[in-house]
Amino acid sequence: MKWWQIRERNADLERELRSDVELEEEEQRENGLSPEEARYAARRAFGNSTLIREQTHEAWGWVALERLGQDIRYGVRQLLRSPAFTVTAVLILALGIGAVTAVFSLIDTALLRMLPVEKPEQLVEFKAANPALPPNDTFSYPTFQTLNSQTQVLAGAFAFRKLFKVDVEVDGRGGLAEGQLVSGNYFTVLGVGAAQGRTILPIDESLAGQAPVAVIGYDYWRTRFALDPGIVGKHVLINSVPFTIVGVTKPEFYGVQLGDKVEISVPLTMIGSVYPGFAAAGSPADALKAPFRNWLHVMGRLQDGVTRERATASLSPAFAQSMREAAASLAGTPIDSPAVRQTFLNFRLQLEPGSQGLAVLRLQFSKPLWIVMGIVGLLLLITCANVANLLLVRANSREKEIALRFALGVGKGRLIRQLLTESILLGLGGGVMGVGLAYWGNRLLLALMARGRSPVLLSAHPDLRVLGFALGVSLLTALIFGTIPAWRIAGVDPSRGLMQNARNSAGSSTRSRLGKSLVVLQVAISLVLVVGAGLLTRTLANLKDFYPGFDRDNVLLFSVDPTVIGYKDVVPLYERLLTRLRAVPGVRLASMSVHEPLSMSISTTPIRVQGSASGQAEDLAPVNIEPVGPDYFATMGTPLFRGRDFSWGDRDGTTKVAIVSEGMARHYFGNADPIGRFVSIPGFVGDSSWIQIVGEIRDVKVHELRETGAFMLYLPLFQLPEGGATFELRTAIDPATVQGAALDAVKAIDPRLPVDSVKTLKVQLNDSLVQERLVGSLSGLFAVLGLLLTCVGLYGLMAYTVNRRTSEIGIRMALGADRSRVARMVLRETLVLVLCGLLLGFPGAVFASRLIASQLFGIKPWDPVTFTVACLLMAAVTITASYIPARRAASVDPMQVLRTE
Amino acid sequence: MSSMTKQAQQRVGLLQGTLDMLILRTLLYGPAHGHQIGKHIQRTTNEFLQMQHGSLYPALHRLEERGWVSAKWETAPDRNREFKYYRLTEKGRKQLVVEESQWKQMAEAVARVMWPAAEES
Repeated sequence: MKWWQIRERNADLERELRSDVELEEEEQRENGLSPEEARYAARRAFGNSTLIREQTHEAWGWVALERLGQDIRYGVRQLLRSPAFTVTAVLILALGIGAVTAVFSLIDTALLRMLPVEKPEQLVEFKAANPALPPNDTFSYPTFQTLNSQTQVLAGAFAFRKLFKVDVEVDGRGGLAEGQLVSGNYFTVLGVGAAQGRTILPIDESLAGQAPVAVIGYDYWRTRFALDPGIVGKHVLINSVPFTIVGVTKPEFYGVQLGDKVEISVPLTMIGSVYPGFAAAGSPADALKAPFRNWLHVMGRLQDGVTRERATASLSPAFAQSMREAAASLAGTPIDSPAVRQTFLNFRLQLEPGSQGLAVLRLQFSKPLWIVMGIVGLLLLITCANVANLLLVRANSREKEIALRFALGVGKGRLIRQLLTESILLGLGGGVMGVGLAYWGNRLLLALMARGRSPVLLSAHPDLRVLGFALGVSLLTALIFGTIPAWRIAGVDPSRGLMQNARNSAGSSTRSRLGKSLVVLQVAISLVLVVGAGLLTRTLANLKDFYPGFDRDNVLLFSVDPTVIGYKDVVPLYERLLTRLRAVPGVRLASMSVHEPLSMSISTTPIRVQGSASGQAEDLAPVNIEPVGPDYFATMGTPLFRGRDFSWGDRDGTTKVAIVSEGMARHYFGNADPIGRFVSIPGFVGDSSWIQIVGEIRDVKVHELRETGAFMLYLPLFQLPEGGATFELRTAIDPATVQGAALDAVKAIDPRLPVDSVKTLKVQLNDSLVQERLVGSLSGLFAVLGLLLTCVGLYGLMAYTVNRRTSEIGIRMALGADRSRVARMVLRETLVLVLCGLLLGFPGAVFASRLIASQLFGIKPWDPVTFTVACLLMAAVTITASYIPARRAASVDPMQVLRTE
Repeated sequence: MSSMTKQAQQRVGLLQGTLDMLILRTLLYGPAHGHQIGKHIQRTTNEFLQMQHGSLYPALHRLEERGWVSAKWETAPDRNREFKYYRLTEKGRKQLVVEESQWKQMAEAVARVMWPAAEES
């Protein structure tokens, strides 16, 4: 028999028993008994009919399931009987479970999920470690080829490099896309297939010059080509170079860097056509030939059964040889020097797990996300305590029911199981709603993350893993909040429970002690949340108010890259653009730079200083180099410390000049005036000519607000045209109002110019705070929720206590206690609870604030103001919550109480 | 040790299974409903097995679960009413043979212990 036939079988059994009893009854009547007597005789002959039914059910073999069904039915009935309680509990649980699930699904997507490729656990990322320098994760093309040939431990190594935005012209219409250069075996080693056509193959790498091919991502196929089935074989122009699209990659593949999306991939040997400036073909620094030119990320797939350690050991000799070749190849180039050569010789190969792709996003978001996870975990604990308290209060009203069931012979085990079933039903209800909430919360979180400088594009749709997690959390919370009350209830003494006045029984006084400790726990956890939120939101505020070395207000930014539509000499165009932009009404000044202010990308290279203070002719401390336009510092509002700003006269053919930052000047020249001194940057300029320093500025933040004194060296952009540029427009009015006219001005010069990343400097600055905003706003939100729940819990407890003590209060008042005194009594009780909670929470808060110390800015983890304010806030809010119960206590009518007593 | 407990379990099972055997044996005469089976066992044992009819039903349903009997609602020939008639299946017939021989072995074993002299004479 199957379990779904139970109902049918049950009806059948009933009918069988009835017919047989009736037959017995008839026979007894035929034997001469009266109808009445016959019925009793028949019943006697049959025995205990309930027992028969139960035993027969057991014979069917589905007893456990039937009992579960009973428990569930009974539980649902009980929950439906008190809808207010059920709805409250489910909502509170949904809040906690939803928050945890939302954050988990984000962590799952951003930190835990593996690349959607074949056997991702076999993938490794190559790095070159050098004790003196930050780890280097790029390699030259010859080094990559050496690594790729090590087939004894590697199933293959592939190389790639993200391109800047490329212009893709389809049927005469241009448009920017995220491009990447890949080695021919990129897709085959990863094991990524094509949804249409084919992927790039090794042959394409070697044949690149003859038949350039490109592969596009599925999303790009959808957005740009509307899933055009004739995509394979389509001819497009990428940065004005003809390519043939040979395929579309599988929809789930977005490249090996999570949060990034690759829209179009071309063989890396096409670098010369797509970015001739970067490729430097024919020069000693030829990207495809020079062994010292590190520009490619390299990942590999280990052979089956090969560990990373073994692979590292096996690859190291070949890598060392490759580094020796790189050092030797420096001979005759302007950047050659013993120190630079030594850097190469010092590199040691390092293999890191690559199953999740490049680690950029994980590094950036792992700490903030785990902090948020900790916060929602604490919130979940508060919700558990809260619901446990609700259950305890409810237990009081159910005492008689429970006692009755005991008296009727229910086993203790069965009763606990029944109560836990109810809790689990609540937990699952909360879980289902929570998943819905998580789905919605997820979009919010992703929106928060996607607003950064390098938009993080994640698709965190709740998958099986997340649903499993939510289910697990629901069951776990159900067990946490359900066990204690179930245990308590099962301890009911049936004889006392059945007594009329169960309100004053001893059981309920231990129960309220339990309720009190739960409230104390909630207060303690809330304090941790409030202190954490205080520190994190003040960090965010500190960063927002922080002076970054430039004036953030009234600056409009946008990027233009004329080279992608075929411009070779960009300087005349830039001059015309600047002139035109400065004439736009509302624009006070306009300048330009290669990188956006506060962007993560910037060029660093060692420099050489003539007559350095430190006595060294050469220093390998990396300096950030930024080519900028005329009047750049005036436009940005960066004060010049010494010397002059760049002018229109600083162009090709005039004296090579530079402006340095204060920190860099101090590092190289001590307290001496750097103006008039000389530096050379062969690694950037390409020759070792001397460049004269003409100005010095105060330190500015170039990557992020938290950094301390990055060494900056500015060069005139007109002396070193380098492809695309970002324009900065200082406006007299709201920059947003100038935007239209400014972009029109660009179109007026050349309508084909692709304009990108239009935003204000203020937005750019705020975007650089994406992690801080994520953590700050979420910690604030969850602290408020936690505090609210704690207040509800406290209110509930106090209301219940007052209700339970109505008679006591009435008698006190009858004996002469006045109303304010009664109210004070309740408030005092609250205050004791809150103080206990604060005392308990304080060390927790100190501990938690030390955990997040690295995320703080401009505030100490043990900031006394934050702690004091948090404690006072907690006290004020919680005592306010107990005001209503206190009022109610004070309004007890002694006459009425005495009458009921 | 374990074989001993296993044997003991088997014997207890056999004793409990006696009712099953009696039901199966009763059904050998032809299909019958629960009431008839109960009455028949009671009458044949001269009321020695004072069972309550009700205890039959769990056994009947167990036998049906195991496929040793089949059940069907049929109209009784003497009364104009439907009863649930149980019928011995082929599997049940085989089971009856097995149970009978087990019971015989058991009875003989008990007899040998209880009346050793009778055996000798």
